[in-house]
Amino acid sequence: MTETRASENNAARDAILVSIRGSLAVSKPFDAEHQKHHAHGVILQGKVHRELSTKELVDNFKTNLESVGGICVIVANEGEAAIYVETVIEKIAAKNVAISDSDLVYRLTETLDGIDVIQNATKDILFDCDLGITSAQWAIAETGTLVLESEAESHRLTSLVPPVHLCILKADVIRQTLSEILELTSKNLSKTITFITGASRTSDIELTLAIGVHGPRELHVVVVADQ
Amino acid sequence: MQHLTAETFDQNARDALGDLVLHGALRNLADNFGERRKVAMASVDDWEGLREKARAVKEETLLHLDKYLLQFVDNAEKAGAKFHWARDAKEACRIVVDLVNERGAKMVVKSKSMATEEIHLNDALEADGIEPIETDLGEWIIQLAGETPSHIVVPAIHKTKGQIADLFVEKIGIEKTNDVDVLTKTARRILRERFAKAEVGISGVNFGVAETGTILILENEGNVRMTTSLPRTHIAVMGIEKIIPRFADLDVFLKLLPRSGTGQRLTAYQSLITGVKKNSDNEGPDEVHIVLMDNGRSRMLSHPVTRQSLACIRCGACLNACPVYQQIGGHAYGSVYPGPIGAVITPQLIGISKSKQLPYASSLCGACREVCPVKIDIPELLLHLRAEITDGIAGGAKRNPQRKKKFSESLAFKLYGYAWSSQFSYGLGIKAARVMQKLIVRDGKIGKASGFMAKLLPPLGAWTAWRDAPVVAAKSFREEWRTNLKSE
Repeated sequence: MTETRASENNAARDAILVSIRGSLAVSKPFDAEHQKHHAHGVILQGKVHRELSTKELVDNFKTNLESVGGICVIVANEGEAAIYVETVIEKIAAKNVAISDSDLVYRLTETLDGIDVIQNATKDILFDCDLGITSAQWAIAETGTLVLESEAESHRLTSLVPPVHLCILKADVIRQTLSEILELTSKNLSKTITFITGASRTSDIELTLAIGVHGPRELHVVVVADQ
Repeated sequence: MQHLTAETFDQNARDALGDLVLHGALRNLADNFGERRKVAMASVDDWEGLREKARAVKEETLLHLDKYLLQFVDNAEKAGAKFHWARDAKEACRIVVDLVNERGAKMVVKSKSMATEEIHLNDALEADGIEPIETDLGEWIIQLAGETPSHIVVPAIHKTKGQIADLFVEKIGIEKTNDVDVLTKTARRILRERFAKAEVGISGVNFGVAETGTILILENEGNVRMTTSLPRTHIAVMGIEKIIPRFADLDVFLKLLPRSGTGQRLTAYQSLITGVKKNSDNEGPDEVHIVLMDNGRSRMLSHPVTRQSLACIRCGACLNACPVYQQIGGHAYGSVYPGPIGAVITPQLIGISKSKQLPYASSLCGACREVCPVKIDIPELLLHLRAEITDGIAGGAKRNPQRKKKFSESLAFKLYGYAWSSQFSYGLGIKAARVMQKLIVRDGKIGKASGFMAKLLPPLGAWTAWRDAPVVAAKSFREEWRTNLKSE
């Protein structure tokens, strides 16, 4: 920023702050009277949820993800997960597969034969990939949501650009509520956190649902139970 | 294309009422969004409690907006974001145009943002030789058509499938089809080419978290994620009222906004962006710029009634619920923000003299207040603005010296007050009305008053211009009861 630009920016900031403080001062005499009729701040009457077992969390997650059109499979171990990955590749006849830098994803795609598996694909290559595979750091059962943190996994484009997104996650990262997840992610806040609930969608034409407008048209989630 | 203005609302509304194609396009709105909203509401434990909490958080923020804004800026700057303060629309546009020019970009991709609509950013970019590409499907459609959004959440709600199909044939040259999937895929194909090339992406912001400096953007299509992760520069434009104090506060707002807006428990994607990436070889843009815009907002803090306007989270539920909006759509309001919330925000943004009819664009039925997830009392705001128009008394403004009460008006209200003050005077009034109305009742109803009668009783003229006035019955229910019903 040039010097004049910086001083203009400071002047604008100061003017806005002065205006905010001035307006709030003008409002003060009216506030108490208005508060009498419009007191807000009732304590939430939310139910206290009992601790759910991992199995219950997985089931809730699956139900809610499927309710928004996501495909969810539960497998016992990583070997079964790898088989499901192959099934999806076969089904959509994928040739180029983009993967994130997750170790789990790397392990499960190592043995793929006759397929171009590309890690850290550049923008141009990504646009030609048929499938993107990532993991997820957390998942929310009550909404069927995947939570991906940029500091843990380079996920932003792999989970977005290819027409099909496959996500593999461990059952023990699922929590029931959004508020638990906000608490967990805030501890070591990533530069970018992405919440994903189902496939890309729009209702912009006559409120008719259409899938896969910009992001993936299909979302597969593999939950590895590992028990 | 000529855009409508708020100044001619009455005429715009009349024209819209006669537009059958528009009615066809709007027919699903209330049922579809209204019903989905009810189902989604039922999926949380305590909807009323959530609304109360959300409003309390917003009120707390607004009463200390200077403090929370500075905290937000401080934390986002520490995380690597660059800040630009804009007093008004012109300044905000100039900042964005300069940023784009300095990066040598001739084309930018945009995700849907009401803030950039409000400042007419696209016009400013085009005037400087920069091509803005709207990437939200609805926004792209209206950009192709050279129109403006008519709804906060579904911008092209006023267009039918057939109109959109014709538009695609004309502008893109595809074969005519009414298949929504094919139309959507066409948009995907064309916009992907733009995403791949764009050097700058421009987005809005749904929430700015003071505690962490995070911006959060909700969407369903994935174009926000494309816009904020593919280009090398990301510019986010936000009003100063988008701040919330704590990261944990996102919980209530992420429960309320999708349910109220589209009837979803959560939209398909949320992007939470805190500053800029750590290492240059990480994915994501090299620069994140945030434009903080006042543009008339700080003024709204000057009275508790007008301050409510700044609690709005732009969900669009009040539009979907409004019987006026359902009939006339968004364009008739002649402003960027349509519907009930537009009728209260627009006069405060562009000045009441340019939008005098908007606070009257409501029957005060209260449906908007009922659905608002942050409990904005829109009817109260409408009345407040009406008072400002007639008396200039509200909002700490000085009493309008031009305004003198008319003698006839004072007399009318005195008589009215007297008539309702006792049973005797009320009965007398009714009897007088029964006799007097004989002058104007035709075929058992009071139709359009004209000429002499309209002049003598101006409110009657205004009322009957569009509908019949009720006729005082020959006998009141009490009289009927005394003579006939009681004996049965």
